[in-house]
Amino acid sequence: MTRKVCIVGGATTPFDYGSTGFETIEGGAAECVKETQNDIPGFSLRDLDLMIYSHFSVHFGHQLAPEWIIHDHLGLVGLPHYRVENGGNTGGSALYAAALAVMSGHHDVVGIVGWETMDSVSQSQGSEFIAMASDTRYELMVGGIYPIYYAAMANKWMKDNKVTEEDVATIAVKNKNNAMDNPKAQWYRNEHRYITVDDVMKSKLIAYPIKKYDCCMMTRGVAFLLVCSEEYAKKINPDGYVTVDGMGLSSCTIRAGDRLNNPTWAEHYGPGYPGMTEFGACRNSADQAYKMAGIKDPLKEIDFGEIHDAFSTSEAQIYKALGLADTDNIAQFIRDEQTHLHGEIPMNPGGGLIGYGHPVGATGIMSTIECFYQLAGLIPKKHLSKKTEVPDAQCGVVNSHAGTGTSISNFILRRH
Amino acid sequence: MGQAVVMKNSKKKFADEPKFTEKKDYRPEGVKETGLAFVGHEISEDRTVMNQFLHYDQLYTIRHGRNSKFFIGLLDGKIMGTKCPKCGDTWVPVRTHCWNLNCNLQKTEWVEMPLTAKVHTWTIAGWSGRSSLKRLPIVLVYAIIGDSKVAIANELHGIKPWDAEFGMPLKVVFKPKEQRIGAVTDFHFEPADGWKPSPMNSEKERIKKLVEPVYEWVKTLK
Repeated sequence: MTRKVCIVGGATTPFDYGSTGFETIEGGAAECVKETQNDIPGFSLRDLDLMIYSHFSVHFGHQLAPEWIIHDHLGLVGLPHYRVENGGNTGGSALYAAALAVMSGHHDVVGIVGWETMDSVSQSQGSEFIAMASDTRYELMVGGIYPIYYAAMANKWMKDNKVTEEDVATIAVKNKNNAMDNPKAQWYRNEHRYITVDDVMKSKLIAYPIKKYDCCMMTRGVAFLLVCSEEYAKKINPDGYVTVDGMGLSSCTIRAGDRLNNPTWAEHYGPGYPGMTEFGACRNSADQAYKMAGIKDPLKEIDFGEIHDAFSTSEAQIYKALGLADTDNIAQFIRDEQTHLHGEIPMNPGGGLIGYGHPVGATGIMSTIECFYQLAGLIPKKHLSKKTEVPDAQCGVVNSHAGTGTSISNFILRRH
Repeated sequence: MGQAVVMKNSKKKFADEPKFTEKKDYRPEGVKETGLAFVGHEISEDRTVMNQFLHYDQLYTIRHGRNSKFFIGLLDGKIMGTKCPKCGDTWVPVRTHCWNLNCNLQKTEWVEMPLTAKVHTWTIAGWSGRSSLKRLPIVLVYAIIGDSKVAIANELHGIKPWDAEFGMPLKVVFKPKEQRIGAVTDFHFEPADGWKPSPMNSEKERIKKLVEPVYEWVKTLK
């Protein structure tokens, strides 16, 4: 019998790019812990019995084992700590690790600090660093950056599913405009404007069919999340804790081109799946999470989600992988604005990667924190208004996603 | 003493050590390995915030080991694939052991692939990594070479970007021998002989409109 896993608090620094004056990773982590203590005053750093660090690339950090700097700065000498790295799914994988630690009964109170400092190099150099998570021997010098790989996948996916450029542009608009209600979001802090589908369509070409405003942003940011046993949750935040009722972690090929005839996927989901268009690891990890949480009809049973919109196109692909729509109705599902705040299942009310930002190691933690805020009723306190609150939310999905869909995790969180 | 000599002679080696006799250096001018160096700093007007500039630039050795035949093949103008002797699956990019769990990591055999391919999917890049910016716009395709079970990414040349099509037939074209370096950039795809683009349509016009500013922007790059 495994133990219930709970989330009781968390916070991020403002997400930004370039000089802000508050950019040290250890200082950022300390401020996130202090904000969490503000929300749950009973929480002391002395309560922690494990720290997990969520960080993608030491290329950005110009520092090996940078978690040692943060851990030391937080005054946590003696406490066990290690770092989790799993590409864009680093945050989700760190949460998975923390949940396993609590479930096992070996740890009770686990802190996660996630961060990335992507503004330490130029945007184009940063793009190249991230692309070093592709197979550098075969893909780096011919594709060069992830948006190109994603565009090639999305171009075919959109044709196969009759989804248009305008359709996916509505997703980018939704996420950037949601971020306008979130003062820590990079879009709110920098460009700071409401946009339209026309703005997305006119933004510059990155890789067809993806334009600049279809893309997430490069970001500097830090996030802290507190994961614990139910016993501790009842003690520290009896009225506001959230339970992790389902979780799944799955994997796919590093090169997207290797998914055409994969025999192991064929065993799971039949020949031809996922091809270069579907996210098999997302479907597979969602299946695991739904089974664990007892979810049969995700569209009806899940109220909202914070998902990995690295591109507007990939958010659309994720809807399908999460089982919210299929080939026959995905285009209509998007046109009906089912994932907008007024829709059946709002996605990324916090702004997502397109609005809030994507400091890789902090991203999945940020998504979890936003999901927690919704379920704990903290949105009016954390956002600028109630506009981006999902009313009476009881159940949310968190999705964290890496590579070209190479590692993906999904979590089902419920209000206690 | 005698026993120690016997142990040395029976040392298990697993593979013959390679002797590297053909060496080439094609380092572009200006590429230097400086190692780690602080090269500057900036301080805010009120002297409360400081940024420091650290430069590092290292030479990496990519040891291709069992994959080497593919990369040596490129130097020779060949696309080498691998094939599982059990299930018959063939791959480019190569796998030195079969991916099918039923074949239980069966060692694969090298096969020379035909220089023909088919587009599985495509995109047109208007932005890329630092080292590729001047070559934009780039038509990137994932194409299936011969009977490979997987698609390989590479550039498609010899075509207006908006004329790229799903399923179009391609040929593999190598750079002149003296320009090859044993990397995937030694070849690219071109439309197969006799292939003709379809007439302009609204999607092609849309792509053309998106791509035209890219040509202009690239002209401004130093």
